[in-house]
Amino acid sequence: MKKSFLFVTGLLLILAMVLSACQAAPATEAPVVKPEQPVATEAPVVATEAPVATEAPAAKATTNIVHYYSGDLGLKDMQEIITQFNAQSAACEIKDNTTGHEDFKTQILVMLAGDNPPDVFSYWAGARVQFVVDSDALMELSDFWAEEGFDDIVVAGIQGAKDYNGGVYAIPQNYHFTGMFYNPKTLAAAGVTETPTNWDEFIAAGEKLIAAGVTPIALGSKDRWPAQYYFDYFLGYTAGNEYREKFQAGEGSWTDPEVVRAIEYWKELIDKGFFVADANAYTYTDAADMVANGQAGMTLMGTWVTGYWDGNGLVAGEDYDLFPFPTIEPSIPAATYATVDAWAIPVDAANPDCAKEFVAWALTPEMQALWAKGQGALAASAEVDTSIYNVVTKKANDLIAGGTKWAAGYDLSTTPPNAEVGLNLFAQLMNDASQYMTYLEDAQVQSAEVFGK
Amino acid sequence: MIRNRRKWTFLFSIIPLTVYVVIVIIPLLSSFYYSFTDWNGFRQTYNFVGLDNFAKVFSDKLFANAIKNTLIWMIAALILPVGGGLILALMLNEEIRGAKFYKSLFYLPICLSLAVVGQVWIWIYMPNWGLINTVLRALQLDSLTLAWLANPDTALVAVIIAWSWSQIGLSMVIFLAGLTSIPTELTEAAEVDGASYLKVLRHIVVPLLSPATTVVIALMIINSLKSFDVVYMMTQGGPFHTTDTLAMFMFNETFKKYYMGYGSAIAVVLFMIAMIIIIIYFRQVRKLEHLYD
Repeated sequence: MKKSFLFVTGLLLILAMVLSACQAAPATEAPVVKPEQPVATEAPVVATEAPVATEAPAAKATTNIVHYYSGDLGLKDMQEIITQFNAQSAACEIKDNTTGHEDFKTQILVMLAGDNPPDVFSYWAGARVQFVVDSDALMELSDFWAEEGFDDIVVAGIQGAKDYNGGVYAIPQNYHFTGMFYNPKTLAAAGVTETPTNWDEFIAAGEKLIAAGVTPIALGSKDRWPAQYYFDYFLGYTAGNEYREKFQAGEGSWTDPEVVRAIEYWKELIDKGFFVADANAYTYTDAADMVANGQAGMTLMGTWVTGYWDGNGLVAGEDYDLFPFPTIEPSIPAATYATVDAWAIPVDAANPDCAKEFVAWALTPEMQALWAKGQGALAASAEVDTSIYNVVTKKANDLIAGGTKWAAGYDLSTTPPNAEVGLNLFAQLMNDASQYMTYLEDAQVQSAEVFGK
Repeated sequence: MIRNRRKWTFLFSIIPLTVYVVIVIIPLLSSFYYSFTDWNGFRQTYNFVGLDNFAKVFSDKLFANAIKNTLIWMIAALILPVGGGLILALMLNEEIRGAKFYKSLFYLPICLSLAVVGQVWIWIYMPNWGLINTVLRALQLDSLTLAWLANPDTALVAVIIAWSWSQIGLSMVIFLAGLTSIPTELTEAAEVDGASYLKVLRHIVVPLLSPATTVVIALMIINSLKSFDVVYMMTQGGPFHTTDTLAMFMFNETFKKYYMGYGSAIAVVLFMIAMIIIIIYFRQVRKLEHLYD
């Protein structure tokens, strides 16, 4: 009996061993030879104004969508867009496959690598799409873009997010603006009556908040990415966007004077006690809560935070407001570093025509308005009536319309392995900024390896 | 008769064997295969790079860091779940009131998924309103409050404690099973001869418990090698790699950096380490078989 006990336990252990080494096993059948996939040239079937379907649902082609809009608001609104699409489409039935935001990053890789890609999926425009395009896993959508006339529909400032290797591979669904979201009541109580526009005014405002017993900036960098916008702004606003673009492409060094200067601006804020303690322990919503409850004055975040606050009953313009990141070098034009959420279609999609029909549907003014209102996002379609925005998101929209340059944030504008290097560095900086030169030198070693220098 | 039985045994084994081959053996062999490539997980083509990925494994500072953290985890596993489980088993093996209730209570965490365990402990460790810091503040020990999971000095220990909490019930149950198999005549005879509790423990209970101890130690070492779920939930290897275990490091290299070939090489190394441990385990089990004869 006891021998059997040991034997069975041993067998279980072997199984555990084997499974432990299989955790990263990739898809088992990645073809060595790239299959010949024709570039989509067929005219897409777009039926944005099709009559309500009268055929039996069984006649419709099932179209799988995978997206990361899994939060309360995003899920509800995306499901509404899908439901309305299914009701009006004569030929297509979208099957919704929502995935948690973080899990999505892994799941989509596995799906694309295997033989089971979705027909259409949401993705972050920029380096992530570039990575998949370079891997020959996405369908080129240049013809689709032209036929739909998206040049005249999509907001001009974000159209760069569609182009990869000379073709269109991503269709924007919405975009965001990052800036300083603040609590007007907290700032007013501390004597900050005018929002700062340049660095000196920003430092002065922060010092007033500290004197009033309020931490100027809430940052929740537990997930690392919320810290990256400081680097984006400090580098972009001191070295200029041209240098920043080269740096993101691996043509600079973490030890370049431009990068060191940017980090030293960041360190100045840390040393002055502008940030909440233990920022790496909190999420961005924790930081948003700190601003909302007056514990901190402001947070550098994207417009998606307005969706979170609105969901918690805060009133735009009264409980929260926005000012652009303060200018550091007056000669450098204003920019914002954020995200464009886009749609992409895998090269092996089983039903690309329906996928395109859905994307065109999602870009209609009605669906864009529905989406932007719920998300705190800015609609990718310029045909959307801007009255749908609240006073804060309208301010962001007006800044872009007024010429503020839009660029992808740090982790969406460099390769995924290099993004990891920077994200770790930013977390280190928030933990102990005194060693920043060591971090930069270490990051450069890793970055050089990533770019094969 | 025997031939007939073999035939039926084979037939009944086909389905489970097929499932095992498809979901375990093929992915395992795939890991070996991809470890010799530079596949990024997306690209439909890749190159064979020979042993380059393995050369990188052994020169990678982050891999060395993951090995160090995994070793710390293993050592902690031998102290917390193994030692703690033994103490609990010894206590609950006595005829104390409510022993069944306490056994259930201590076993409960093993029924929870490690994702749930991780979330529970995230709340416990929260710096502003978490249980630990709230208690410390109530005791006027504000200076001891920390951001347990964000501090590089405490994050690994904090995650290990959370994991140990979930594992201690398992080792306790195995030790309890081992204790019930020790003949009471031996301990009673020793007590009649005037042996103290500690002497009985040292000279009778612990030696006779060695089969169970071997099982528990092997289980805990293997579980510590596999430690991923709880780390993923609580820190994802952060802050800045301080809680990277081998499994977490492998995941990050594979799915965050898209180094599928390199991630597979790490998986192979992890497999080899695990195999060495399992071989040692089996040799030990064979040595202990005489205890049951």
